Amino acid sequence: MTQPAISQHLKVLEEAGLISQRVEGTKRPRRLETAGIEAMDEWLVRLRKSLEKSYARLDEVLAAMGTPKKEKGR
Amino acid sequence: MSKTMKTNKMTLETEGETHVIVTRRFAASPEMVYRAHTEPKLIQQWLLGPEGWVMPVCINEARPGGIFRYEWTKADGSQGFHITGEILEMEPGHRIVHVERMHMPDALPDTRIETRFDAAGEGTLMTMRMTLPDAQTRAMMLATGMERGMEASYARLEGLI
Repeated sequence: MTQPAISQHLKVLEEAGLISQRVEGTKRPRRLETAGIEAMDEWLVRLRKSLEKSYARLDEVLAAMGTPKKEKGR
Repeated sequence: MSKTMKTNKMTLETEGETHVIVTRRFAASPEMVYRAHTEPKLIQQWLLGPEGWVMPVCINEARPGGIFRYEWTKADGSQGFHITGEILEMEPGHRIVHVERMHMPDALPDTRIETRFDAAGEGTLMTMRMTLPDAQTRAMMLATGMERGMEASYARLEGLI
C-alpha cells in the first residue's frame, strides 16, 4: 500500500470518528477512538431495553383486548 | 422449563451498517397486534419505553400517506421529546411501512421501518426491520443524542445493571 493510500484510509477513519491524531513534532500519532463504537452499542442497548419493556406491556394490552372467539375445534 | 418466556423472547440483530432487525412473538392474532400498532388508544398503553414515561399525545392517521405524532414526557414533567412520521404502506393485519424521526427538539435524520405481523402457531411473529441513516449521519445523531440524553441514559443504564 502506498503512503498516499494509507493517508487516505486514515482520513476516512478520522472523519468517521474512529481514530484521532495528535501532532508531536514531525510525528502524527493516531489513536483508536472507541466513543463512536460505544455510542452505537449504547444506543442498541437502550433500544433493546426500551422495546423489551414496551412489548411486555403490549402482552398485557393484548391479553386485555381478549381473545377472539375460537370457532375451530381443538 | 418456562416455555412461554422463551417463546416471547425478543431478538435484536444488526445487519450490515444500517439495519436493525427485531423479532418478537405475541400470544394474539396478527390482526390484534396490528391494531395495537395503529389505534392511538391502544398505542398509548404500551409504547412507553423505560419506566416512568407517559404519552399524552398520540395521533396516528392509520392510512397510507397519513401522518403520526407521538409525544412522550417523564411522568414528573422533567423531560420530553416527540416523534413524527409518515405512513408509506399499510396492509391491514399484516404489514406497515413508515418513516419517522425523533425531535429533541431538533429533528434527527429519518429512520425507515417495516413492521410485519405473521401468523405463527396460535399467535403472531412480529418482525420489525429498521433502516437507519448512513453511518456518518448516524454518528452525528448518536453524538447529539448522547450529549443531550447523557445524564438520563446513564441513570437508566445504572438502573439496569
